[in-house]
Amino acid sequence: MALDFKASVMWESVPLLLGGVHLTIIITLGGLAIGFLLGTATGLAKTARGKLPRALADIYVEAIRGTPLIVQVMFLYFGVPLATGMRIPPVTAGIVAIAVNSGAYIAEIVRGAVESIDVGQTEAGRSIGLTRMQALLYVVWPQAFRRMIPPLGNQFIISLKDTSLLVVIGVGELTRQGQEIIAVNFRAFEVWLTVAVMYLVMTLSIARVLRIYERKLNARFGR
Amino acid sequence: MKTCETPMIEIRNLHKRFGQNEVLRGIDLTVCPGEVVVIIGPSGSGKSTALRCINRLEEITSGKVVVDGHDLYAPATDINYVRTEAGMVFQQFNLFPHMSVLDNVTLGPIRVRRTPRAEADRLGLALLEKVGLADKATAYPDQLSGGQKQRVAIARSLAMQPKVLLFDEPTSALDPELVGEVLEVMRALALEGMTMVIVTHEMGFAREVADRVIFIDQGRIQEEGPPDEFFSAPKNPRLREFLGRVRHA
Repeated sequence: MALDFKASVMWESVPLLLGGVHLTIIITLGGLAIGFLLGTATGLAKTARGKLPRALADIYVEAIRGTPLIVQVMFLYFGVPLATGMRIPPVTAGIVAIAVNSGAYIAEIVRGAVESIDVGQTEAGRSIGLTRMQALLYVVWPQAFRRMIPPLGNQFIISLKDTSLLVVIGVGELTRQGQEIIAVNFRAFEVWLTVAVMYLVMTLSIARVLRIYERKLNARFGR
Repeated sequence: MKTCETPMIEIRNLHKRFGQNEVLRGIDLTVCPGEVVVIIGPSGSGKSTALRCINRLEEITSGKVVVDGHDLYAPATDINYVRTEAGMVFQQFNLFPHMSVLDNVTLGPIRVRRTPRAEADRLGLALLEKVGLADKATAYPDQLSGGQKQRVAIARSLAMQPKVLLFDEPTSALDPELVGEVLEVMRALALEGMTMVIVTHEMGFAREVADRVIFIDQGRIQEEGPPDEFFSAPKNPRLREFLGRVRHA
């Protein structure tokens, strides 16, 4: 049986899908903003001298990296309220899940970048009297941050695609919108194709923006 | 053993161990204000480690290091403050690559001393002038030669107006034709009366500029003295052997 392809179905599904795109972007941006802060704090804790911050950071990263995101999402949305007695709105749960998940991976990116900066940089900073914090802030971090951009871009793209898993808790993001349209018109080929193109446009945009930003940073650093 | 009323640096029975490896086995050294002390010795002798202890870049196993009256390893000592009194110049320069040359020099004054930027810039430019690099103020470290980088690093240390400058093989990473410009800056500082402790392999420079030369080997000071006697009549057999090897290198 040949496929009866209808381009018009693709066009007709666009307005509804754009609603999903909107939510996907909000969850991605919100999740990554919090995830970046969480990841930075955790990554720096991993380079700390104290044993306790290192141990806590390790537990967090291993627990998140070692379990599937879909399980984390369902645990957070269906499981946690049973313990706390407080229901979480699905979008909030989605943002938190993306934040906690990406934070664990970003922590490794931050740790790796900070540790890749030559120890002589810190020593030079300390020898002119900077405190440990100042040496990190003014000397190590700006250099480490530049090295983080490519792997961070990678993580941003992964997290954006991961928001599609939030269908399991009924968040009306892009994938969910696609499912709902197909439930009405049964045009799986056209609708999933449109959904895929929309994800692709978003991920390519992230890659593009980050490449421009990286080039700008390099120019400012005199290379 | 040198004595003076108020020593700038006083090291007493300094021991340092890395795991099983005892790098420093009891170093005693007094450096007086305005004195230029050159430390020589074979690689792995502990000379760089000893120098780094004067800025507490290493933790020590036992002993005492006092810089300008501050006991560096006493728990109550504000190490961030004391570090500003002893500037360090590294073999690998360790300039901050993401900052312009001027910003490298003014970072300390601005962030540690809270000097207003305009004033810090004036000070920074004056120091760059002094090391002959005022025209490179807006350049980035990657755009400089090794000799220029090391001169910027010296200006960066001077910006904190330290009482002592420590040099850890400052010319060892340089192409031979760039060594002279760095030594020239160091010579000028010595003439101004800056207290300096220099780990180096430049024997000619040691002979000319040092007030005292120290030979460290196997974690101990084996011989010390004014450069004339030190180089012309070395008593320690290992020093004789070392000088023989260096001269023929």
